[in-house]
Amino acid sequence: MSTLYLDRQSPLHRLNPVTKLVGVLAVVLVVFAVPVWWASAAILVGVVVPIAAFSGVGRRLLVICSVLVGPLLVVLVVAQGFFYPGRETILFEWGPFRFSLEGLQIAIAVGARTAVLVAATMLLLLTTHPGALMTALTERGMPPKISYVISSTLQIIPAFRGRAESILLAQRSRGLRTKGNIFRRAAVLLPLVTPLVLGVFVDVEERSTAMEARAFGSTRSRVSYAVIPDSRAQRVARWVLVIVAFAIVGLAFAGVLS
Amino acid sequence: MIDLAGVTYAYPDSERNVLAGLDLSISEGSVYGIVGASGAGKTTLAKTIAGFIPHAEGGDLEGRVTVAGLDVPTATLLDVVTRVGLVSQNPFNQITGARFTVEEEIAFGLENLGTSRAEMLERVDAVVDQFGLEELRSRSPYALSGGQQQLVAIASIMVMRPSILVMDEPTSQLDPGGTRLVFDVIERVAQQGTTVVMFEHKLELLRDHADTLGVLAEGRIVLSGSPRDVLADERLAEWGVGSTRFTAAARAAASAGLVDRKAELPVSLAEATGYFAKGANR
Repeated sequence: MSTLYLDRQSPLHRLNPVTKLVGVLAVVLVVFAVPVWWASAAILVGVVVPIAAFSGVGRRLLVICSVLVGPLLVVLVVAQGFFYPGRETILFEWGPFRFSLEGLQIAIAVGARTAVLVAATMLLLLTTHPGALMTALTERGMPPKISYVISSTLQIIPAFRGRAESILLAQRSRGLRTKGNIFRRAAVLLPLVTPLVLGVFVDVEERSTAMEARAFGSTRSRVSYAVIPDSRAQRVARWVLVIVAFAIVGLAFAGVLS
Repeated sequence: MIDLAGVTYAYPDSERNVLAGLDLSISEGSVYGIVGASGAGKTTLAKTIAGFIPHAEGGDLEGRVTVAGLDVPTATLLDVVTRVGLVSQNPFNQITGARFTVEEEIAFGLENLGTSRAEMLERVDAVVDQFGLEELRSRSPYALSGGQQQLVAIASIMVMRPSILVMDEPTSQLDPGGTRLVFDVIERVAQQGTTVVMFEHKLELLRDHADTLGVLAEGRIVLSGSPRDVLADERLAEWGVGSTRFTAAARAAASAGLVDRKAELPVSLAEATGYFAKGANR
Protein backbone atom coordinates (compact mmCIF):
# COMPACT_ATOMS: atom_id res chain seq x y z
CA MET A 1 0.00 0.00 0.00
CA SER A 2 1.25 3.51 -0.85
CA THR A 3 0.92 5.20 2.49
CA LEU A 4 3.09 7.26 4.78
CA TYR A 5 1.43 5.93 7.92
CA LEU A 6 3.75 4.75 10.71
CA ASP A 7 2.12 2.49 13.26
CA ARG A 8 3.06 3.85 16.69
CA GLN A 9 1.39 4.02 20.08
CA SER A 10 1.07 7.73 20.80
CA PRO A 11 -1.71 10.07 21.90
CA LEU A 12 -1.58 11.74 18.48
CA HIS A 13 -2.07 8.38 16.75
CA ARG A 14 -5.11 7.75 18.93
CA LEU A 15 -6.77 11.07 18.18
CA ASN A 16 -9.78 11.09 15.88
CA PRO A 17 -8.56 11.82 12.32
CA VAL A 18 -11.00 14.71 12.04
CA THR A 19 -9.48 16.37 15.12
CA LYS A 20 -6.04 16.12 13.51
CA LEU A 21 -7.37 17.39 10.20
CA VAL A 22 -9.00 20.39 11.87
CA GLY A 23 -5.71 21.05 13.68
CA VAL A 24 -3.78 21.02 10.40
CA LEU A 25 -6.30 23.32 8.71
CA ALA A 26 -6.21 25.70 11.68
CA VAL A 27 -2.40 25.86 11.64
CA VAL A 28 -2.26 26.39 7.87
CA LEU A 29 -4.93 29.09 8.06
CA VAL A 30 -2.99 30.92 10.76
CA VAL A 31 0.43 30.82 9.05
CA PHE A 32 -1.02 32.06 5.77
CA ALA A 33 -3.00 34.84 7.52
CA VAL A 34 -0.28 36.16 9.84
CA PRO A 35 2.13 38.19 7.69
CA VAL A 36 5.33 37.64 9.73
CA TRP A 37 7.82 34.87 9.02
CA TRP A 38 8.67 34.20 12.65
CA ALA A 39 5.06 33.15 13.39
CA SER A 40 5.43 30.30 10.87
CA ALA A 41 8.88 29.43 12.23
CA ALA A 42 7.56 29.47 15.81
CA ILE A 43 4.66 27.13 14.93
CA LEU A 44 7.04 24.83 13.06
CA VAL A 45 9.68 24.67 15.78
CA GLY A 46 7.44 25.11 18.81
CA VAL A 47 4.41 23.01 17.82
CA VAL A 48 4.81 20.71 14.81
CA VAL A 49 8.34 19.40 15.45
CA PRO A 50 7.86 18.62 19.19
CA ILE A 51 4.55 16.88 18.52
CA ALA A 52 6.16 14.82 15.74
CA ALA A 53 9.08 13.86 18.00
CA PHE A 54 6.75 12.96 20.87
CA SER A 55 4.67 10.80 18.50
CA GLY A 56 7.68 8.80 17.29
CA VAL A 57 7.61 10.11 13.72
CA GLY A 58 10.09 13.00 14.04
CA ARG A 59 12.92 11.45 12.03
CA ARG A 60 10.65 10.40 9.15
CA LEU A 61 9.02 13.85 9.14
CA LEU A 62 12.44 15.49 8.96
CA VAL A 63 13.47 13.32 6.00
CA ILE A 64 10.22 13.93 4.09
CA CYS A 65 10.24 17.67 4.73
CA SER A 66 13.92 17.94 3.74
CA VAL A 67 13.20 16.20 0.44
CA LEU A 68 10.03 18.18 -0.30
CA VAL A 69 10.84 21.62 1.10
CA GLY A 70 14.65 21.76 0.85
CA PRO A 71 14.91 22.20 -2.94
CA LEU A 72 12.00 24.65 -2.87
CA LEU A 73 13.78 26.77 -0.23
CA VAL A 74 16.94 26.91 -2.34
CA VAL A 75 14.97 28.03 -5.41
CA LEU A 76 13.04 30.60 -3.36
CA VAL A 77 16.18 32.11 -1.82
CA VAL A 78 17.98 32.35 -5.16
CA ALA A 79 14.98 33.67 -7.11
CA GLN A 80 13.71 36.13 -4.50
CA GLY A 81 17.18 37.16 -3.27
CA PHE A 82 18.47 38.10 -6.71
CA PHE A 83 15.30 39.09 -8.53
CA TYR A 84 12.88 40.58 -5.95
CA PRO A 85 11.80 43.88 -7.55
CA GLY A 86 11.53 45.91 -4.31
CA ARG A 87 15.18 45.41 -3.27
CA GLU A 88 16.81 48.26 -1.32
CA THR A 89 19.38 46.67 1.01
CA ILE A 90 22.01 44.79 -0.99
CA LEU A 91 23.76 42.06 0.99
CA PHE A 92 26.25 41.01 -1.74
CA GLU A 93 26.82 41.11 -5.48
CA TRP A 94 27.65 38.27 -7.86
CA GLY A 95 28.61 39.55 -11.28
CA PRO A 96 25.67 41.57 -12.58
CA PHE A 97 23.33 40.09 -9.93
CA ARG A 98 22.59 41.77 -6.59
CA PHE A 99 21.28 39.78 -3.62
CA SER A 100 18.86 41.79 -1.46
CA LEU A 101 17.76 41.50 2.16
CA GLU A 102 14.14 42.17 1.17
CA GLY A 103 14.20 39.27 -1.27
CA LEU A 104 15.71 37.01 1.37
CA GLN A 105 12.97 37.99 3.84
CA ILE A 106 10.27 37.17 1.29
CA ALA A 107 11.93 33.82 0.55
CA ILE A 108 12.09 32.96 4.25
CA ALA A 109 8.45 33.99 4.80
CA VAL A 110 7.15 31.93 1.87
CA GLY A 111 9.49 29.06 2.71
CA ALA A 112 8.45 28.99 6.36
CA ARG A 113 4.76 28.96 5.47
CA THR A 114 5.32 26.18 2.95
CA ALA A 115 7.37 24.22 5.49
CA VAL A 116 4.53 24.46 8.04
CA LEU A 117 1.96 23.43 5.40
CA VAL A 118 4.02 20.40 4.34
CA ALA A 119 5.11 19.41 7.86
CA ALA A 120 1.61 19.63 9.36
CA THR A 121 0.09 17.69 6.48
CA MET A 122 2.80 15.04 6.65
CA LEU A 123 2.35 14.78 10.41
CA LEU A 124 -1.34 14.03 9.81
CA LEU A 125 -0.51 11.37 7.21
CA LEU A 126 2.29 9.82 9.28
CA THR A 127 0.05 9.37 12.31
CA THR A 128 -3.29 8.54 10.67
CA HIS A 129 -4.12 5.28 8.94
CA PRO A 130 -5.73 6.17 5.59
CA GLY A 131 -8.58 3.76 6.29
CA ALA A 132 -9.39 5.55 9.55
CA LEU A 133 -9.21 8.93 7.80
CA MET A 134 -11.55 7.81 5.01
CA THR A 135 -14.01 6.23 7.45
CA ALA A 136 -14.02 9.34 9.65
CA LEU A 137 -14.60 11.62 6.66
CA THR A 138 -17.31 9.37 5.17
CA GLU A 139 -19.08 9.38 8.54
CA ARG A 140 -19.10 13.18 8.30
CA GLY A 141 -20.66 13.29 4.88
CA MET A 142 -17.87 12.76 2.36
CA PRO A 143 -19.37 10.82 -0.59
CA PRO A 144 -18.36 7.10 -0.46
CA LYS A 145 -17.30 7.29 -4.10
CA ILE A 146 -14.63 9.90 -3.29
CA SER A 147 -13.49 7.78 -0.35
CA TYR A 148 -13.30 4.79 -2.70
CA VAL A 149 -11.21 6.66 -5.25
CA ILE A 150 -8.67 7.68 -2.59
CA SER A 151 -8.56 4.31 -0.81
CA SER A 152 -8.32 2.24 -3.97
CA THR A 153 -5.64 4.51 -5.42
CA LEU A 154 -3.50 4.04 -2.31
CA GLN A 155 -3.82 0.27 -2.51
CA ILE A 156 -4.09 -0.61 -6.17
CA ILE A 157 -1.28 1.55 -7.58
CA PRO A 158 1.47 -0.51 -5.86
CA ALA A 159 -0.18 -3.63 -7.26
CA PHE A 160 -0.10 -2.14 -10.75
CA ARG A 161 3.55 -1.26 -10.23
CA GLY A 162 4.15 -4.97 -9.62
CA ARG A 163 2.27 -5.81 -12.79
CA ALA A 164 4.34 -3.29 -14.78
CA GLU A 165 7.51 -4.96 -13.49
CA SER A 166 6.16 -8.37 -14.58
CA ILE A 167 5.38 -7.06 -18.07
CA LEU A 168 8.85 -5.52 -18.31
CA LEU A 169 10.45 -8.81 -17.27
CA ALA A 170 8.34 -10.68 -19.85
CA GLN A 171 9.37 -8.23 -22.57
CA ARG A 172 13.03 -8.49 -21.55
CA SER A 173 12.85 -12.28 -21.72
CA ARG A 174 11.71 -11.86 -25.33
CA GLY A 175 14.79 -9.83 -26.12
CA LEU A 176 13.56 -6.27 -25.55
CA ARG A 177 16.51 -4.06 -24.60
CA THR A 178 15.49 -1.73 -21.79
CA LYS A 179 18.85 -0.15 -21.00
CA GLY A 180 20.56 2.57 -22.96
CA ASN A 181 20.08 6.20 -23.92
CA ILE A 182 16.90 8.19 -23.44
CA PHE A 183 15.55 7.31 -26.92
CA ARG A 184 15.95 3.60 -26.31
CA ARG A 185 14.26 3.93 -22.92
CA ALA A 186 11.41 5.90 -24.50
CA ALA A 187 10.98 3.18 -27.12
CA VAL A 188 10.49 0.64 -24.30
CA LEU A 189 7.44 2.54 -23.05
CA LEU A 190 5.10 1.38 -25.82
CA PRO A 191 5.48 -2.39 -25.26
CA LEU A 192 5.18 -1.73 -21.51
CA VAL A 193 2.26 0.68 -21.48
CA THR A 194 0.06 -1.06 -24.07
CA PRO A 195 -0.50 -4.34 -22.17
CA LEU A 196 -0.60 -2.47 -18.87
CA VAL A 197 -3.35 -0.09 -20.00
CA LEU A 198 -5.35 -2.80 -21.76
CA GLY A 199 -5.10 -4.90 -18.60
CA VAL A 200 -6.33 -1.97 -16.53
CA PHE A 201 -9.47 -1.68 -18.69
CA VAL A 202 -10.29 -5.34 -18.06
CA ASP A 203 -9.57 -4.89 -14.36
CA VAL A 204 -11.83 -1.87 -14.12
CA GLU A 205 -14.77 -3.81 -15.56
CA GLU A 206 -14.21 -6.82 -13.30
CA ARG A 207 -13.70 -4.66 -10.22
CA SER A 208 -16.84 -2.70 -10.99
CA THR A 209 -18.77 -5.99 -11.14
CA ALA A 210 -17.24 -7.01 -7.79
CA MET A 211 -18.28 -3.66 -6.29
CA GLU A 212 -21.86 -3.96 -7.58
CA ALA A 213 -22.03 -7.54 -6.31
CA ARG A 214 -21.43 -5.99 -2.88
CA ALA A 215 -24.24 -3.49 -3.27
CA PHE A 216 -22.00 -0.47 -3.87
CA GLY A 217 -24.84 1.01 -5.94
CA SER A 218 -27.15 0.93 -2.92
CA THR A 219 -28.78 4.21 -1.98
CA ARG A 220 -29.41 3.10 1.60
CA SER A 221 -27.65 4.94 4.44
CA ARG A 222 -24.28 3.33 4.93
CA VAL A 223 -23.17 2.08 8.30
CA SER A 224 -19.48 1.96 9.05
CA TYR A 225 -17.95 -1.32 10.24
CA ALA A 226 -14.84 0.30 11.67
CA VAL A 227 -15.32 2.47 14.73
CA ILE A 228 -13.24 5.62 14.88
CA PRO A 229 -13.01 6.71 18.52
CA ASP A 230 -14.17 10.21 19.31
CA SER A 231 -14.93 12.01 22.56
CA ARG A 232 -16.63 15.08 23.90
CA ALA A 233 -13.21 16.55 24.75
CA GLN A 234 -12.11 16.18 21.12
CA ARG A 235 -15.34 17.71 19.80
CA VAL A 236 -14.77 20.70 22.12
CA ALA A 237 -11.11 20.88 21.08
CA ARG A 238 -12.10 21.02 17.41
CA TRP A 239 -14.41 23.95 18.02
CA VAL A 240 -11.74 25.70 20.11
CA LEU A 241 -9.22 25.25 17.28
CA VAL A 242 -11.65 26.68 14.74
CA ILE A 243 -12.54 29.66 16.94
CA VAL A 244 -8.90 30.43 17.83
CA ALA A 245 -7.80 30.13 14.20
CA PHE A 246 -10.51 32.47 12.96
CA ALA A 247 -9.79 34.89 15.81
CA ILE A 248 -6.13 35.06 14.80
CA VAL A 249 -7.10 35.50 11.15
CA GLY A 250 -9.45 38.32 12.20
CA LEU A 251 -6.69 40.03 14.20
CA ALA A 252 -4.28 39.63 11.28
CA PHE A 253 -6.73 41.24 8.85
CA ALA A 254 -7.35 44.04 11.37
CA GLY A 255 -3.62 44.78 11.28
CA VAL A 256 -3.04 43.93 14.95
CA LEU A 257 -0.44 41.23 14.14
CA SER A 258 1.48 43.14 11.45
CA MET B 1 -35.11 -21.66 -7.55
CA ILE B 2 -33.31 -20.91 -10.82
CA ASP B 3 -35.46 -21.17 -13.88
CA LEU B 4 -34.29 -20.03 -17.29
CA ALA B 5 -36.44 -20.80 -20.31
CA GLY B 6 -35.80 -19.91 -23.96
CA VAL B 7 -33.10 -17.41 -22.97
CA THR B 8 -31.40 -15.64 -25.85
CA TYR B 9 -28.86 -12.88 -25.30
CA ALA B 10 -26.61 -10.72 -27.45
CA TYR B 11 -24.21 -8.10 -26.09
CA PRO B 12 -24.72 -4.46 -27.12
CA ASP B 13 -23.48 -3.72 -30.64
CA SER B 14 -23.25 -7.43 -31.41
CA GLU B 15 -25.54 -9.55 -33.52
CA ARG B 16 -24.18 -12.85 -32.21
CA ASN B 17 -26.42 -14.60 -29.68
CA VAL B 18 -24.08 -15.78 -26.94
CA LEU B 19 -27.02 -17.52 -25.31
CA ALA B 20 -29.35 -19.08 -27.84
CA GLY B 21 -32.58 -20.63 -26.57
CA LEU B 22 -31.06 -21.74 -23.27
CA ASP B 23 -33.18 -23.74 -20.83
CA LEU B 24 -31.90 -24.39 -17.33
CA SER B 25 -33.58 -25.41 -14.12
CA ILE B 26 -31.66 -25.73 -10.85
CA SER B 27 -33.33 -26.85 -7.66
CA GLU B 28 -32.89 -25.16 -4.30
CA GLY B 29 -29.92 -26.23 -2.20
CA SER B 30 -28.16 -28.14 -4.95
CA VAL B 31 -24.65 -27.74 -6.36
CA TYR B 32 -24.85 -27.42 -10.13
CA GLY B 33 -21.63 -27.52 -12.13
CA ILE B 34 -21.45 -26.09 -15.63
CA VAL B 35 -18.65 -26.96 -18.04
CA GLY B 36 -18.03 -25.63 -21.50
CA ALA B 37 -15.32 -24.67 -23.93
CA SER B 38 -13.81 -21.17 -23.89
CA GLY B 39 -16.26 -18.81 -25.57
CA ALA B 40 -19.22 -21.11 -24.91
CA GLY B 41 -20.93 -18.36 -22.91
CA LYS B 42 -20.12 -19.41 -19.34
CA THR B 43 -19.42 -15.89 -18.06
CA THR B 44 -22.47 -14.57 -19.90
CA LEU B 45 -24.69 -17.21 -18.27
CA ALA B 46 -23.13 -16.51 -14.86
CA LYS B 47 -23.86 -12.79 -15.24
CA THR B 48 -27.41 -13.52 -16.43
CA ILE B 49 -28.19 -15.60 -13.35
CA ALA B 50 -26.58 -12.93 -11.12
CA GLY B 51 -28.56 -10.10 -12.73
CA PHE B 52 -25.62 -8.23 -14.29
CA ILE B 53 -27.24 -9.09 -17.61
CA PRO B 54 -29.17 -7.08 -18.55
CA HIS B 55 -28.83 -4.55 -15.69
CA ALA B 56 -25.12 -3.72 -15.95
CA GLU B 57 -24.22 -5.03 -19.41
CA GLY B 58 -27.29 -3.95 -21.38
CA GLY B 59 -27.83 -5.89 -24.60
CA ASP B 60 -30.86 -7.83 -25.83
CA LEU B 61 -32.15 -10.42 -23.39
CA GLU B 62 -35.16 -12.54 -24.32
CA GLY B 63 -36.83 -15.40 -22.54
CA ARG B 64 -37.69 -16.09 -18.92
CA VAL B 65 -35.07 -15.58 -16.20
CA THR B 66 -36.46 -16.29 -12.75
CA VAL B 67 -33.93 -16.48 -9.93
CA ALA B 68 -34.65 -16.70 -6.19
CA GLY B 69 -38.24 -15.71 -6.81
CA LEU B 70 -37.27 -12.61 -8.81
CA ASP B 71 -38.02 -11.92 -12.43
CA VAL B 72 -34.46 -10.76 -13.15
CA PRO B 73 -35.13 -8.48 -16.16
CA THR B 74 -37.72 -6.42 -14.23
CA ALA B 75 -36.09 -6.55 -10.77
CA THR B 76 -33.39 -4.05 -9.77
CA LEU B 77 -29.76 -5.10 -9.69
CA LEU B 78 -29.68 -4.35 -5.96
CA ASP B 79 -32.60 -6.73 -5.38
CA VAL B 80 -30.80 -9.46 -7.29
CA VAL B 81 -27.35 -9.02 -5.68
CA THR B 82 -28.84 -9.31 -2.20
CA ARG B 83 -30.18 -12.75 -3.15
CA VAL B 84 -27.58 -13.95 -5.64
CA GLY B 85 -23.85 -13.65 -5.01
CA LEU B 86 -21.37 -13.60 -7.87
CA VAL B 87 -17.70 -14.54 -7.54
CA SER B 88 -15.49 -14.17 -10.61
CA GLN B 89 -12.24 -15.81 -11.63
CA ASN B 90 -9.60 -13.16 -10.92
CA PRO B 91 -8.94 -12.98 -7.15
CA PHE B 92 -7.06 -9.66 -7.44
CA ASN B 93 -10.04 -7.98 -9.09
CA GLN B 94 -12.45 -9.37 -6.50
CA ILE B 95 -10.78 -7.25 -3.84
CA THR B 96 -12.53 -3.90 -3.98
CA GLY B 97 -9.64 -1.74 -2.78
CA ALA B 98 -12.18 0.22 -0.75
CA ARG B 99 -11.08 -1.18 2.59
CA PHE B 100 -7.73 -1.78 4.23
CA THR B 101 -8.15 -5.01 6.19
CA VAL B 102 -9.68 -8.40 5.44
CA GLU B 103 -12.49 -7.99 7.97
CA GLU B 104 -13.37 -4.53 6.62
CA GLU B 105 -13.34 -5.93 3.09
CA ILE B 106 -15.73 -8.68 4.17
CA ALA B 107 -18.03 -6.14 5.85
CA PHE B 108 -18.07 -3.82 2.80
CA GLY B 109 -21.30 -5.22 1.30
CA LEU B 110 -23.09 -5.02 4.65
CA GLU B 111 -21.95 -1.41 5.08
CA ASN B 112 -23.48 -0.57 1.71
CA LEU B 113 -26.73 -2.28 2.67
CA GLY B 114 -26.96 -0.25 5.88
CA THR B 115 -26.85 -3.32 8.13
CA SER B 116 -26.68 -2.41 11.81
CA ARG B 117 -23.19 -2.53 13.27
CA ALA B 118 -24.10 -5.18 15.83
CA GLU B 119 -25.39 -7.48 13.10
CA MET B 120 -22.36 -6.71 10.93
CA LEU B 121 -19.99 -7.76 13.72
CA GLU B 122 -21.93 -10.96 14.29
CA ARG B 123 -22.02 -11.87 10.59
CA VAL B 124 -18.37 -11.02 9.94
CA ASP B 125 -17.27 -13.07 12.95
CA ALA B 126 -19.36 -16.01 11.74
CA VAL B 127 -17.96 -15.90 8.21
CA VAL B 128 -14.37 -15.40 9.37
CA ASP B 129 -14.79 -18.43 11.60
CA GLN B 130 -16.49 -20.52 8.90
CA PHE B 131 -13.86 -19.72 6.28
CA GLY B 132 -10.89 -20.06 8.64
CA LEU B 133 -9.79 -16.45 8.14
CA GLU B 134 -9.14 -15.57 11.78
CA GLU B 135 -5.38 -15.17 11.34
CA LEU B 136 -5.86 -12.99 8.28
CA ARG B 137 -8.60 -10.66 9.48
CA SER B 138 -6.33 -7.72 10.31
CA ARG B 139 -4.11 -8.06 7.26
CA SER B 140 -4.35 -6.11 4.03
CA PRO B 141 -6.31 -8.06 1.39
CA TYR B 142 -3.52 -7.20 -1.04
CA ALA B 143 -0.96 -9.01 1.14
CA LEU B 144 -2.72 -12.38 0.65
CA SER B 145 -2.09 -15.23 -1.76
CA GLY B 146 -4.47 -15.72 -4.69
CA GLY B 147 -6.26 -18.57 -2.92
CA GLN B 148 -6.66 -16.53 0.25
CA GLN B 149 -7.92 -13.54 -1.75
CA GLN B 150 -10.50 -15.76 -3.43
CA LEU B 151 -11.62 -17.02 -0.01
CA VAL B 152 -12.01 -13.42 1.13
CA ALA B 153 -14.01 -12.68 -2.03
CA ILE B 154 -16.36 -15.61 -1.35
CA ALA B 155 -16.61 -14.62 2.33
CA SER B 156 -17.43 -11.04 1.29
CA ILE B 157 -20.34 -12.37 -0.74
CA MET B 158 -21.54 -15.01 1.74
CA VAL B 159 -21.65 -12.49 4.59
CA MET B 160 -24.56 -10.89 2.68
CA ARG B 161 -26.34 -14.24 3.03
CA PRO B 162 -27.46 -14.79 -0.55
CA SER B 163 -29.56 -17.89 -1.22
CA ILE B 164 -27.62 -18.55 -4.43
CA LEU B 165 -23.87 -18.39 -5.02
CA VAL B 166 -22.70 -18.17 -8.65
CA MET B 167 -19.01 -18.84 -9.19
CA ASP B 168 -17.44 -18.13 -12.54
CA GLU B 169 -14.28 -20.25 -12.78
CA PRO B 170 -13.20 -19.34 -9.23
CA THR B 171 -10.10 -21.52 -9.29
CA SER B 172 -8.83 -20.86 -12.80
CA GLN B 173 -5.99 -18.64 -11.53
CA LEU B 174 -5.18 -20.62 -8.40
CA ASP B 175 -2.56 -23.23 -7.61
CA PRO B 176 -3.64 -26.68 -6.34
CA GLY B 177 -3.48 -25.52 -2.70
CA GLY B 178 -5.65 -22.48 -3.42
CA THR B 179 -8.06 -24.61 -5.44
CA ARG B 180 -8.45 -27.04 -2.55
CA LEU B 181 -9.13 -24.16 -0.13
CA VAL B 182 -11.88 -22.82 -2.38
CA PHE B 183 -13.54 -26.20 -2.91
CA ASP B 184 -13.47 -26.92 0.83
CA VAL B 185 -15.31 -23.67 1.40
CA ILE B 186 -17.81 -24.42 -1.36
CA GLU B 187 -18.53 -27.73 0.35
CA ARG B 188 -19.31 -25.90 3.58
CA VAL B 189 -21.44 -23.28 1.85
CA ALA B 190 -23.45 -26.00 0.11
CA GLN B 191 -23.95 -27.85 3.39
CA GLN B 192 -25.64 -24.75 4.78
CA GLY B 193 -28.28 -25.03 2.07
CA THR B 194 -27.01 -22.35 -0.31
CA THR B 195 -27.62 -23.17 -3.96
CA VAL B 196 -24.25 -23.16 -5.74
CA VAL B 197 -23.85 -22.71 -9.49
CA MET B 198 -20.26 -23.34 -10.44
CA PHE B 199 -18.66 -22.71 -13.81
CA GLU B 200 -15.43 -24.67 -13.77
CA HIS B 201 -12.92 -26.48 -15.95
CA LYS B 202 -11.61 -28.86 -13.28
CA LEU B 203 -13.79 -31.85 -14.08
CA GLU B 204 -12.54 -34.15 -11.35
CA LEU B 205 -13.33 -31.61 -8.66
CA LEU B 206 -16.77 -31.01 -10.14
CA ARG B 207 -17.32 -34.77 -10.16
CA ASP B 208 -16.73 -34.83 -6.41
CA HIS B 209 -18.65 -31.69 -5.45
CA ALA B 210 -21.53 -31.17 -7.90
CA ASP B 211 -24.92 -32.84 -7.60
CA THR B 212 -25.66 -32.17 -11.26
CA LEU B 213 -23.46 -31.29 -14.20
CA GLY B 214 -24.49 -29.37 -17.30
CA VAL B 215 -22.59 -28.86 -20.53
CA LEU B 216 -22.85 -25.43 -22.14
CA ALA B 217 -22.24 -25.35 -25.88
CA GLU B 218 -23.58 -23.26 -28.73
CA GLY B 219 -25.32 -20.97 -26.24
CA ARG B 220 -27.46 -23.62 -24.57
CA ILE B 221 -27.26 -26.51 -22.13
CA VAL B 222 -26.74 -29.48 -24.43
CA LEU B 223 -26.38 -32.15 -21.75
CA SER B 224 -27.35 -32.33 -18.12
CA GLY B 225 -27.27 -35.15 -15.60
CA SER B 226 -25.29 -36.75 -12.81
CA PRO B 227 -21.56 -35.91 -12.91
CA ARG B 228 -20.78 -39.56 -13.56
CA ASP B 229 -23.04 -39.82 -16.59
CA VAL B 230 -22.01 -36.48 -18.06
CA LEU B 231 -18.28 -37.05 -17.65
CA ALA B 232 -18.47 -40.47 -19.30
CA ASP B 233 -20.41 -39.11 -22.28
CA GLU B 234 -18.59 -39.66 -25.59
CA ARG B 235 -19.79 -36.33 -26.98
CA LEU B 236 -17.88 -34.11 -24.52
CA ALA B 237 -14.96 -33.78 -26.94
CA GLU B 238 -17.33 -32.52 -29.67
CA TRP B 239 -18.37 -29.69 -27.36
CA GLY B 240 -14.79 -28.76 -26.56
CA VAL B 241 -14.92 -30.13 -23.02
CA GLY B 242 -12.07 -32.38 -21.95
CA SER B 243 -12.39 -35.55 -19.95
CA THR B 244 -11.02 -36.81 -16.66
CA ARG B 245 -7.57 -38.42 -16.65
CA PHE B 246 -9.24 -41.77 -15.97
CA THR B 247 -11.69 -41.49 -18.84
CA ALA B 248 -8.92 -40.42 -21.22
CA ALA B 249 -6.69 -43.34 -20.16
CA ALA B 250 -9.57 -45.80 -20.52
CA ARG B 251 -10.38 -44.52 -24.01
CA ALA B 252 -6.73 -44.88 -25.03
CA ALA B 253 -6.60 -48.41 -23.58
CA ALA B 254 -9.83 -49.36 -25.34
CA SER B 255 -8.55 -47.96 -28.65
CA ALA B 256 -5.42 -50.07 -28.25
CA GLY B 257 -7.57 -53.15 -27.61
CA LEU B 258 -6.30 -53.58 -24.05
CA VAL B 259 -9.75 -53.45 -22.48
CA ASP B 260 -13.32 -54.16 -23.50
CA ARG B 261 -14.63 -51.24 -25.59
CA LYS B 262 -18.19 -51.87 -24.41
CA ALA B 263 -17.41 -51.46 -20.70
CA GLU B 264 -18.62 -48.26 -19.05
CA LEU B 265 -15.85 -45.64 -19.04
CA PRO B 266 -14.43 -44.72 -15.61
CA VAL B 267 -14.49 -41.14 -14.31
CA SER B 268 -12.67 -41.66 -11.00
CA LEU B 269 -9.67 -43.53 -9.62
CA ALA B 270 -11.87 -46.17 -7.96
CA GLU B 271 -13.76 -46.81 -11.18
CA ALA B 272 -10.55 -46.83 -13.20
CA THR B 273 -9.00 -49.43 -10.88
CA GLY B 274 -11.93 -51.76 -11.50
CA TYR B 275 -12.00 -50.99 -15.20
CA PHE B 276 -8.33 -51.76 -15.79
CA ALA B 277 -8.42 -54.81 -13.46
CA LYS B 278 -11.10 -56.31 -15.70
CA GLY B 279 -8.91 -55.57 -18.72
CA ALA B 280 -5.90 -57.23 -17.07
CA ASN B 281 -7.95 -60.33 -16.23
CA ARG B 282 -9.27 -60.67 -19.76
